[in-house]
Amino acid sequence: MSSPVPQLTWFLARRSGRRGLHSQLLAVGAAAVGSLILLVLTAACFGSGARAHDTAWRIPAPDRHGTAVQTVGTTYLGDRPVTVVSLAQLPGRKATPAPPGLTGFPKPGQVYVSPALAGLLHSTPANQLADRFPKVSSYGTIGDAGLAAPEELVAVVGRAASDPAVSTAAEPLGMFAQFGGLTARAVVSGFDGSDVSVFTSPDKPAVSMGVAIVAVPVIVLAAAAGRLGAARREQRLAALRLAGATPRQILAMTGLESGVVGAAGALVGALAYCLLLPALAEIPFGIGTWYTGRLWVGLPWLLAIVVFVAALIAVSAMLTLRQVAISPLGVAQQANPRRTRFIRLLLFVAVLLYIYVTTSSGGAGSRQLLVMLLMFYGAFWLLGPWVVDRLGRITARFARRPATLLAARRLSDDPRGSWRTVSGLVLAGFVAGFFTVGNVGIDSYRFPGQVAVPTTSTAAARTATTEARTLLHAAGVKATVFMSDGDDDGLVSGTPGVVVHVSGGTSELDTTITALQNLVPGQLPYTQDYANAESEAFTGRLGELGAAALVVSFLVATASAGLTAAANVLDRRRVYALLRLAGTPLKLLDRARFRETVLPLVVLAGGTTAAGIYAAFQVNKLFDSTISTSGAVTLAGCVTVGALAMFAAIGASRPLLRAVTEDAARTAD
Amino acid sequence: MSTVLAGLGLTKKYGSTIALHGVDVKVGVRESLAIMGPSGSGKSTLLHTLAGVVRPDGGEVLLHHERIDNLGENRLSELRRKRFGFVFQFGQLLPELPAEENIALPLMLDGMPRGRAVSLARRWFAPLGLDGLEKRRPGQLSGGQAQRVAIARALVVQPDVVFADEPTGALDQGTGEEVVRLLTSVTREQGASLVMVTHDPDVAAHCDRVLQVRDGRITGHHQCTVMP
Repeated sequence: MSSPVPQLTWFLARRSGRRGLHSQLLAVGAAAVGSLILLVLTAACFGSGARAHDTAWRIPAPDRHGTAVQTVGTTYLGDRPVTVVSLAQLPGRKATPAPPGLTGFPKPGQVYVSPALAGLLHSTPANQLADRFPKVSSYGTIGDAGLAAPEELVAVVGRAASDPAVSTAAEPLGMFAQFGGLTARAVVSGFDGSDVSVFTSPDKPAVSMGVAIVAVPVIVLAAAAGRLGAARREQRLAALRLAGATPRQILAMTGLESGVVGAAGALVGALAYCLLLPALAEIPFGIGTWYTGRLWVGLPWLLAIVVFVAALIAVSAMLTLRQVAISPLGVAQQANPRRTRFIRLLLFVAVLLYIYVTTSSGGAGSRQLLVMLLMFYGAFWLLGPWVVDRLGRITARFARRPATLLAARRLSDDPRGSWRTVSGLVLAGFVAGFFTVGNVGIDSYRFPGQVAVPTTSTAAARTATTEARTLLHAAGVKATVFMSDGDDDGLVSGTPGVVVHVSGGTSELDTTITALQNLVPGQLPYTQDYANAESEAFTGRLGELGAAALVVSFLVATASAGLTAAANVLDRRRVYALLRLAGTPLKLLDRARFRETVLPLVVLAGGTTAAGIYAAFQVNKLFDSTISTSGAVTLAGCVTVGALAMFAAIGASRPLLRAVTEDAARTAD
Repeated sequence: MSTVLAGLGLTKKYGSTIALHGVDVKVGVRESLAIMGPSGSGKSTLLHTLAGVVRPDGGEVLLHHERIDNLGENRLSELRRKRFGFVFQFGQLLPELPAEENIALPLMLDGMPRGRAVSLARRWFAPLGLDGLEKRRPGQLSGGQAQRVAIARALVVQPDVVFADEPTGALDQGTGEEVVRLLTSVTREQGASLVMVTHDPDVAAHCDRVLQVRDGRITGHHQCTVMP
């Protein structure tokens, strides 16, 4: 005989009426938001890896038996890096394949540019940009396959093997050329190297860290969908048990119903992800926006996330019900407030001490750091409900107004539930506070208004200095030209060279760089941006990580707060309705609902964000740098907008509260 | 006996269903009135209309000879909070509040400081046989105890009228008997009137007077002889 569970589940779901439908719609909403954010996180993780990989062809992979010479150099237009790849086919060797994004291997004199660079070549005076490249009647275009982002500025120049730009003269010179493959030269046989550009190398680690930070709250949100409508399910449990259903049948029905609802929601989220892909691709991160295709996770991952979310919701619902099944009356009537114990605080302190001791001894690997991060989460997960419980009790003791008293009693009545609503923001608060305000970095080099060109010897530097004066005079640039022996802490370090102090703004600097382009064959002029490229990319990404973590956390927290608020109204509709019937103003019930979320949020999320800012301040002091002003503004902006969004999300269930409290009288007879 | 609450010519429609059909009802000071009738007869609609929860389509409701059915929603809410008390079948107590705070809540809603409100609430425990249960939550109380807390909460504001909708509906017969006896006696002692909806003749018998309602009309009424 076939199992009656699916048929009975379908029958009861259809008969659950408007109230059941409300709960199911909320669960669908939570599952949709959860799967959408998980898909976006996965896309960011894969996309950043793919994007970094897309830059690998530009870094020459040495091959002694290679067929071509490849150099890569980095020049700047304003503060935007332009990657210049020079390629020369070696005579007598077999043909070298075309680099990614190009239709063929470039012939000497051919110049291919990225669409963004082509735009700038048209809009910028030639003496500031175009004159840096060989003169051509028209530029070829580098296709998407050769670029990491639509905004990337890349040029591929075809040269003869004898051209000094690709000869041994183009070997990297000086200390700054050693940073992260900004300059390199090698004989190559293809473009399948694994080293990636310094501008994209921090992307994937930063995104992975961000994913680790926000994935847990997102999973918690999705799991919360399984708990929606718990009261309705509890009633059903009691009724079905009386009707003779076995606990296993009830668990199966719950799992099936919530799994189907979760799958429907997750599919909605997946559909939203597909529809939002073009918009998501417009969100800049690191070097710029994204090619839409790079953010496509692929069908197997999409389905895996849908199944994961559906399973998560089903398991969460069954676990909630199992708790009910153990003591149905106790849970349904909330006879025993769910107390938290002091041991949580002790464990929290112990875990933090362990993390402190382990990390202060140094040398932790990335796996160890991930374990630490998970332990850090776990520690907060232990402490959170305890703090909410204490906060509720203390507030209740001193509450003077009924709304505050109600909110406080609710907090201590179900501290775990209240904690779940705000946990995402609390955990992200510290990280966001730290990374947005922190200005952690390797010491940055400060050489404003300077342009440098390295040379191989002091004699070459002397000659180049004289020539530079002539070139700059011809270009009409007012500048002071010095020879550097490379020993001082200047913009030329570790090798002799020429240093030019330019008076004027960015365009003067660009004109200087362009004028000195061929001063030393194979060596591109550079500014402080070149020297700081690696540390700027690292710190820039950390700042973006903090802001992104904050934005995603607020999205999750907003969804979580909105859904929980609506679910609470549905679960408590009878008591709300009777209170209102007895003359309790709707405003008071609403105020209590707000305070129930705002109290733990302000204390816990505010506390951890402040702790994050304090930690950033301490680390900044250690690095002798100041607070990141733009980061502080981002943080303040996110906190303000996020808090308003959360209040709006809670407020969105006000019409529902009004509707359910009017129901009591309407259905009196 | 002077009239504290009156409904005159009350009519109420829900779509095409007529719930009240020109009903006249008067409640005297300290009088207890039971409204009886089968399901869907309009008895709860009548109670809610008298209590200002439902606005009648026709007729008027007078409290101490002052019309209340035409008051604004806020004024009606205030009236229900200050001048009326309510006891329902179940579920009116806030599960997270201890019994004493549940009772103190209406006083706090009126702006009374919490300490004083709780102190006044505690006075109700001994007379209602709830001694020692002050800190218990509704879930930790028996059905009868919870209803006694609800009675205290209804009476703590010293209302003019207490409205009770099937107050014994969720209780066994013995406990129900005990609760209704307490409800009628304490209400009278407090100088309040009682309007109670019930379908149980034994419960109704504890009231001074019984109204029979059917299809939105009053089909009969009688004075009770059995007094608690």
